[in-house]
Amino acid sequence: MVTWRRKPSIKIHLLVKGLKMRPDNSDNIIDLKNDENPEILVKQDNEGAVSRRNFIRFAAGTGIVAVSAVGCGGPAGGEGWFPAQYNEQGNFPPHVRGRVPINPGNVSITRDNAKCILCGQCTEACSKMEAVMFHYELPLIDDIPCINCGQCSLWCPTGAITEVDDTARFLEALEDPNVHVVVQTAPSTRVGLGEEFGMPAGTNVEGSQVAALKALGVDTVLDTNFAADLTIMEEAKELVRRLKRELDEPIPQFTSCCPGWVRFCEYFYPDLIPNLSTTRSPMGILGAMIKTYYAEKRGIDPKNIFSVSIMPCTAKKYEAVRPEMNNVGRKLGDPLMRDTDLVLTTRELARLIKMRKIDFLNLESAPYDKMLSEYTGAGAIFGVTGGVMEAAVRTAYTFITGENPPASLLEFQPVRGLTGMREAELEIPSVGKVNVAVIAGMGNAHKILDQVRAGKSKWQFVEFMACPGGCISGGGQPRTALPPSPELHTARIDSIYSLDEKSTIRLCHENPEIKTVYKDYLGEPNSELAEQLLHTHFDKDYHKHLTPKKSV
Amino acid sequence: MDFNFVFEPDRWAIRVSYDHWSFRITPVRAFLIALIAAAGCIMLYRFAFGLESVSSLSDRWPWGLWKGWAVFAGAALAGGGYFTTCLVHVFHIERLKPICHRTLLISLLGYTLLLIGLFVEIGRWFNFWRPFVSWGHESPLFEVFWCVSLYTIIQFLELTEIMTQKVLRKFHWILVRIFPVLAIVGVVLPSMHQSSLGAIYLMMEGRLDPLWWSPYIFLFYLLSSLYVGPAMLAVESVIVSKAFGHVTPMEPLKLLARIGGVLMLIYLVLKIADLVAANELGLLLANSYESNIFIAEMVFGVIIPLAIVFSPLINSRPCLIAYGFLASGGVFLNRMNVSITGMARDAGVFYFPSLFEFIVMFGIVAGVVLVYLFMCENFNILTTEEEHE
Amino acid sequence: MAVGVLVDLTKCIGCGSCTVACKMYNGNKWIDNRVPSSGEKAELADENWTVVKKHKVSKTSVSDSDPKEVWRFVKRQCLHCKDPGCVSSCFAKAFQKTEEGPVIYYPHNCVGCRYCMLACPFSVPKFEWNKTIPVLTKCMLCAGRLKKGELPACVSACPTNVMKFGEREALLAEAKRIIADDSRYVQYIYGEEEAGGTSWLYISDMPFEQLGFKMNVPKKPITRYSSKYMHFTPIFGAVWGIILTGIYFFTKRRAKVKKEAGKKDT
Repeated sequence: MVTWRRKPSIKIHLLVKGLKMRPDNSDNIIDLKNDENPEILVKQDNEGAVSRRNFIRFAAGTGIVAVSAVGCGGPAGGEGWFPAQYNEQGNFPPHVRGRVPINPGNVSITRDNAKCILCGQCTEACSKMEAVMFHYELPLIDDIPCINCGQCSLWCPTGAITEVDDTARFLEALEDPNVHVVVQTAPSTRVGLGEEFGMPAGTNVEGSQVAALKALGVDTVLDTNFAADLTIMEEAKELVRRLKRELDEPIPQFTSCCPGWVRFCEYFYPDLIPNLSTTRSPMGILGAMIKTYYAEKRGIDPKNIFSVSIMPCTAKKYEAVRPEMNNVGRKLGDPLMRDTDLVLTTRELARLIKMRKIDFLNLESAPYDKMLSEYTGAGAIFGVTGGVMEAAVRTAYTFITGENPPASLLEFQPVRGLTGMREAELEIPSVGKVNVAVIAGMGNAHKILDQVRAGKSKWQFVEFMACPGGCISGGGQPRTALPPSPELHTARIDSIYSLDEKSTIRLCHENPEIKTVYKDYLGEPNSELAEQLLHTHFDKDYHKHLTPKKSV
Repeated sequence: MDFNFVFEPDRWAIRVSYDHWSFRITPVRAFLIALIAAAGCIMLYRFAFGLESVSSLSDRWPWGLWKGWAVFAGAALAGGGYFTTCLVHVFHIERLKPICHRTLLISLLGYTLLLIGLFVEIGRWFNFWRPFVSWGHESPLFEVFWCVSLYTIIQFLELTEIMTQKVLRKFHWILVRIFPVLAIVGVVLPSMHQSSLGAIYLMMEGRLDPLWWSPYIFLFYLLSSLYVGPAMLAVESVIVSKAFGHVTPMEPLKLLARIGGVLMLIYLVLKIADLVAANELGLLLANSYESNIFIAEMVFGVIIPLAIVFSPLINSRPCLIAYGFLASGGVFLNRMNVSITGMARDAGVFYFPSLFEFIVMFGIVAGVVLVYLFMCENFNILTTEEEHE
Repeated sequence: MAVGVLVDLTKCIGCGSCTVACKMYNGNKWIDNRVPSSGEKAELADENWTVVKKHKVSKTSVSDSDPKEVWRFVKRQCLHCKDPGCVSSCFAKAFQKTEEGPVIYYPHNCVGCRYCMLACPFSVPKFEWNKTIPVLTKCMLCAGRLKKGELPACVSACPTNVMKFGEREALLAEAKRIIADDSRYVQYIYGEEEAGGTSWLYISDMPFEQLGFKMNVPKKPITRYSSKYMHFTPIFGAVWGIILTGIYFFTKRRAKVKKEAGKKDT
C-alpha cells in the first residue's frame, strides 16, 4: 500500500495534532468506519502513538515543506495506484472495466467504495452470469436494475460488495424480552456455514448451526426444509392442475422460489409472469406458517413474533420486503405485519457467531425445535440447482398416478449437475411425456424464455435459479473460493444430495408433519386457506422501470 | 533605564514609560490588548489546524470576512493616505499639510492590517512570496500584490521621514531628498492597485450580482478609494479629539471633502450610467435583498454625503463628521456587498462569519488602533507644522 | 490541437466507476461520510475531483401526459476551459493551461488565496479547509496518463462508454451529429460555448438546467475583461506617473513663483 502521499500537508497535520491521530494511511488499508470491527479501530489508535515510523514521517514531512518553500515540485495528481488493466493506449480500451451500479436504496447489497479496485469482476458476474447489466437500454428510467442475487459480492476480490448488514436489527430483537424470535434456516446454509470456521467445503453443520443460534439466544429454530416440502405440495399440485387444465394458467409452469429469478422475470419477461408458479418460496411459506399455525399452537400473539430467516441469499432480503409478502398480515387485518421480519445471510450468521465468540467448531449439535422442522430428502435438495424440479416431479408423479415414483426419479440425474441448462423428458402415466428443464444463472434463461415467449416451447415445467449451482452458491454464502469455483459448488452439492440419499423419507407428501399440517390446518394442497397463506402474485408493472435490450 | 509605571487616578490609567517613550494604558486600551491577545491565540490555532478550525469558510464560500474586510474594505479605507499625499506633495496644496502626517500613518497602519489579515487568511502562508518569482501577470491580484507590497515599503519610507525627526536623525536628509519620488510612486501604486482590487471581480461575471458587477468595476473601485480618503479623515478627527483633545482644523477637512465630493458625484453618475448601459435599472426595483442593500448603499453612502458636501451644512462640524461616517461607511458597505452580499445568491449558501473570524478581525483593528495611539503620543503626528521642504 | 471528452449523459448508469478511478489514480481519500462522491448529495470536494450526482427529473413523454420521474446521473469534474479563469486568476502561476488541453495545478507555486475558486465560473477548484498546509484541488484530466498515450482514468474505467476522449473539434462535430440525428436529445451542447468553450462537452436528453448545470455562465471567455485590463495596466501606470510628475513640477514651480511674488510684494 502506498503510504507516501502527494501532499506535504498530511505529514504536517500529523505533527501538529500531536501524533495522536492514527496513521494517515490507515484508512487506505482498513476501513475504520466499519463499525463491526471495533477491535481493529482500537488497535489502529494505539499504533498512532509516537513511533519511529511516525517520527521519520514527520521529519520527511518537514523536508517536503522545506522543498516546497524552496520552489520545486511537479503538478498535483497521479500519485495513486491504478490497475494495470487500464494502462492501455487510448485506442485499446480494456474489455473488463468498471463496476456494477448499486442503488444506495438497495436492500440486498451494498458497496464500500474505499475497497473497490475497479477490477471489473462484478460487471462480469452481473452481465455474463445474470444477464442484467448491459442487458437494458440506456438511458435508465427510474431504477438501477438489479435482481439482488448478490453474485457480484461473491466475485468481488476485495470484499467491497457485501450484503446489507442487518445483524444489528437481529441483536436488537434478541435483546427485547417481549419479542419471541423464531429463526428458520435455509436448506443450503448448513453446507456453507462451516466454511466460515475453516471446515472443509460442503461440511454439513446442521446441528451446530441450530446450537449456535440457540447460543445466540434465539427462542425457536425451525427448518426451511420443512417448508420446502410444503412448497412442493402446493407447487406440484399447481403443476398437476395446470397440466390437467384445471387451472387457467399457461404451461410451462416456472418455479418461483428464487426471488432473483422472479425479479428478472418481472424486469425482462413481464409477459411470462402468468407462467410463474403462484406458490410462495419456502421462506415465505414458513414465514406465513410461523405467524399462523405455529403461533396458534404455541399460543403466542403473532405480533410478538420476530421471524428471521437465515438464507444463503441476498435476494431474500429483498423478497421479505416486497409489498405483497404480508399474507398473514392481510389475513389478520394488519397489513403492516411482514411474514418474514428479517433475513440474514449465511455470512451474517457467521459474523454474529464470531462476534459473540461462540466456539462453533466445538459446539454440540442441537436438534431443530419440534413442529415445522421435520423434512424429507426431497425438501433437502431444494438448495441445489435442479432440486426443486426433482422434488416436484417426485410428488407430482404421485399426485397424478397415485403411485410413488420409480427409482429413476429418485436419482433424477439429467437435472443434476452444474451446467447452466439441463433438460429431461419423463413419462408419467395418464399424462404422457413431460419435458422439464432446469436453468441456473439468468444468463442461461434467455434460451428457454425466448422460446416460451415465441410459443415454441416444448417444456411443461422449468426450474429457474439465479445463482449457478443453485442456492448452495447463493450471494449470501461464505466466500470460500474467489471466484466461486466448480469444486466448491460440487462439494456443497454432494453434501446436500447425501442428505437426500441418507434420509428414509424422500417424498414430500410422505412427510408425517406435512400430513399433520394439512390435516389439522390447511386442509389440502391449493385449498382456500393454502391459497391465502402460501400463494402470492407478482408485479406486472415492474418492467416499466427498465427497457430491455432487443438484442444483446 | 527602567520601565516606570505611574497610576493616573483621574483617567483610571497607568502610564508606562521607558526612556523617552511613553504609553498610557486606559481600561479601553487594556481591553484592546486583551482582544489582540485573543486574536493572536486564534491565529496560532488557525496556523496549526487549518482554516476550517476557526472560520466558517467553505468550498461554497471561499472568501469571507477576512478577505472582504481586510483586503477590500481595509485597502479602501486606507486609501485616504495616498489621496491626501497626492494633493499635498504632488499638487502642492499647502493648506492640507497639517493633516498629511496623520493620513499617512493611518494609511500605513491600514495596509499593515491588510497584510496581517491576508497572511492569516491565505491557505499557504509560507508561500506568500511566491508571486515575486512566479509571475501570474494576467491576474489583477498580481498587480494588487506587487503594488501593495511596494506601496507598503514606500509608505514606510515616507513615515520614516517623520520618525527620523526623533530617532536616527542622521538619515533624515536622505529621506527628505528622495521624498518627491516616493510621493509620486506612492500615488501611482495605490491608484493602480485600488482599481485592480475592483478588477479582481471582473472574472466573477455571472457570479457577482449584476447590481455590483460591471466591466468597469475597477473604475468604481478607484473612484471610491479616492473619495473615501477625506471621509476617513473626518472620522479620524473625531477619534483624535476624543483621545487627545486635539481639534483638527475645519478648513483642510472641508476642502478635502469638497474635492472628494466632486469625485463622488462622478462616481454616482458613472454608476447610474453603468446600470442604464447594461439595461439593469429594473433590478433596482426588484425589491430583493440585493436591491434593497444596493439602494441603501447608494442613498446613505453617496447621495446623502453629496447633499452635505454641496450645501452649507458642510460648515458645521457635526455635519462634516456625519458626512465622513456616511461616505466611509458607504464604501465599506460597498466592499462588503461586493464580496459577500452580491455573491450569496450564486453561492447558494448563507455565510455568516464565525465568532473567531470576528475576534481576529477586531483584534487586528485593535492592534492598529493601539499602534496609532502610541505613534500619536510619541511622534510628531498631530503636528500642524511640517518640517521638510 | 486540444483534447476533450464528450459525455453522453443518457448512457450513465451511476455506477461511480469514474469516481473510483479518479481516487485511485490520484491517490485521493474517500470522504463519503463528509462529502459523498456519488448519489444525490455528491459534491466536488478537496478529495472528490470527480463525482457522479444523481438527479431525479420529471419527464413528460408524448404517450404519457403525466410527468414521470426519471433518474439521470451527471458526472462532474473540471471542464478544462479553453480560457480558464483559474489560470488567469492565479497570481503565482499555480494553475497552468497545457497545450494539449488539461489545466494543471502546481501546488508548490500556490499561495492559497483561493481566487481561482471564485474565478472559476463552474466553481470547480476546491480547498483543503481542514489541513495545516492545504492545497487547492481539482481534476487534472490525468495529464500524466495523457502523456503516456493512455486515456484519462475515468474515461478508461467507464463500463458504459459514457465518455469519449479525443480531439475536441472532432468530438464537437460528433456531438452535433448525435443530437441532430436523435430527437431525444436536447439540442444543446454544454461546453461548446460556456466560458468561451470547454474541453469537456456534454449532451443530454434532459434539460441541462434540471441536471444541475449552471446556465448563466458567460458564453465568452471569463477572462476577457480582466486580461484586457491587465494589458492596459502598465500603460496606465506609466502615463499616470508621467502626469503626476508633470503636475509635481508645475505646481511646485507655481508655488515658488507665488512665494517669490509674495516676497516681492513685501
